[in-house]
Amino acid sequence: MRSLRVAYAIARKDLLSEWRSREMVPALAQFVVLALVIANFGFQIDSKNAPAIAPGVLWLALVFAGLVAFGRAFTAEREQHTLEAVMMTAAPPTAVFMGKALGAALLLVVCEAVLLPALTLFFGTPLSAELVIAVLLATIGMSALGCVFAAMVAQLRARELLLPLLSIPLWIPFIVAGGRAVQVAMGGDGTLDQALWLLVDFDILFLVLTSLAARFVLDD
Amino acid sequence: MTRRRYELAAAGAVALMLLAAGAIFLYAPTDALQGPVQRIFYLHVSSAIAAFACFSVVLVGGVLYLWKENLAADRVARAAALVGLVFTTVTLVMGMEWAKPIWGVYWTWDARLTSTLVLWIIYAGYLLVRRLATPGRQAARFAAVVGIFGFADVPIVYGSVSWWRTIHPGPVVLNDALPPAMLATFLFTMFCTLVLAAVMVVIRYRIETLQDALPFGQVVTSAAVTTPQA
Repeated sequence: MRSLRVAYAIARKDLLSEWRSREMVPALAQFVVLALVIANFGFQIDSKNAPAIAPGVLWLALVFAGLVAFGRAFTAEREQHTLEAVMMTAAPPTAVFMGKALGAALLLVVCEAVLLPALTLFFGTPLSAELVIAVLLATIGMSALGCVFAAMVAQLRARELLLPLLSIPLWIPFIVAGGRAVQVAMGGDGTLDQALWLLVDFDILFLVLTSLAARFVLDD
Repeated sequence: MTRRRYELAAAGAVALMLLAAGAIFLYAPTDALQGPVQRIFYLHVSSAIAAFACFSVVLVGGVLYLWKENLAADRVARAAALVGLVFTTVTLVMGMEWAKPIWGVYWTWDARLTSTLVLWIIYAGYLLVRRLATPGRQAARFAAVVGIFGFADVPIVYGSVSWWRTIHPGPVVLNDALPPAMLATFLFTMFCTLVLAAVMVVIRYRIETLQDALPFGQVVTSAAVTTPQA
């Protein structure tokens, strides 16, 4: 219970500070729309090839928006040494970490709330409940993993360089399963259930692993 | 171990690899379908197994370090990560050499090829974390975390040929698909490659031990495989 309260307080603090400054969300929203613009030029999109390309564009935009969101979640704390202050309290490190991950994940969800309708608007792909569920399920695991590495690289040199190198390879299971689910949700062949359950499995696996690892990346 | 023992171990490993080369080129029969190109298989698969073994050592070393703060465990993990990366590189390069005449292309985005490439990137990242973190506790802890998470890809590489539709050949050794002479050559090559990997890890462990004893900023040169002077 105490852990839940700590995690909630940390997440609330991050979201409140974002609400007051309103820096990240508008920038990320513009970023994902820009990603769609780049995709348009890169792939020469027309009404015929759009459904085939849209899932890939969705994941590319999501991966890079995630990298920015998770990276920023810890750099501000590092610069002002606020995380050290939090770690000096009796709060359990796992709860602090889960709070940070929850805050970053919710920022990414806001960003997805822009990305998914924009994809429907610009690419003409259907926006269904299955699509939203697949993206949200992937967001859970990607946020947990991304925040482990973000917490780590915030303490290292060349952190902008290292975060994608560490995160993207381990996000691949989510992109494989999520990519399959999104393709099916956008009208491709295959079964949706299998891909969604695979996402749930990966979420559970990496939530357990990250909660075990949190202590070692935060408490230094 | 004294310098002499390291040299003997290295010479022994090289001699074994030469024997394996002899078995591959002189003893093993030529494949009826693929021709001489099939001989790549022996070292390609053996290197992959050696890489998996190294990454398992990285996993165990990382867990032991996080659990007991055991410095030797961290050094073993460090040594094994580098050696594992070398053997993953050998696996990838030899696989591409084989793929060109058989598949017609060096690379295809097949599940096993892709997951092996990802494996390479993960452990290259492991070594980068070691380089960029503050040497000592931070580098060891962070690397251990990367090594533990990164190992998740090893079973994916192994299972990829069964789980997804792939054009990579399936397991031939465990399925009794090899004629006896080929099987014997393969098992011997695998043994030699594992010995080579173990010797490389031991020597690398020695270098890491010497490196840790040096003041920050100094680097061990090749000559320092000897016992350091006081």
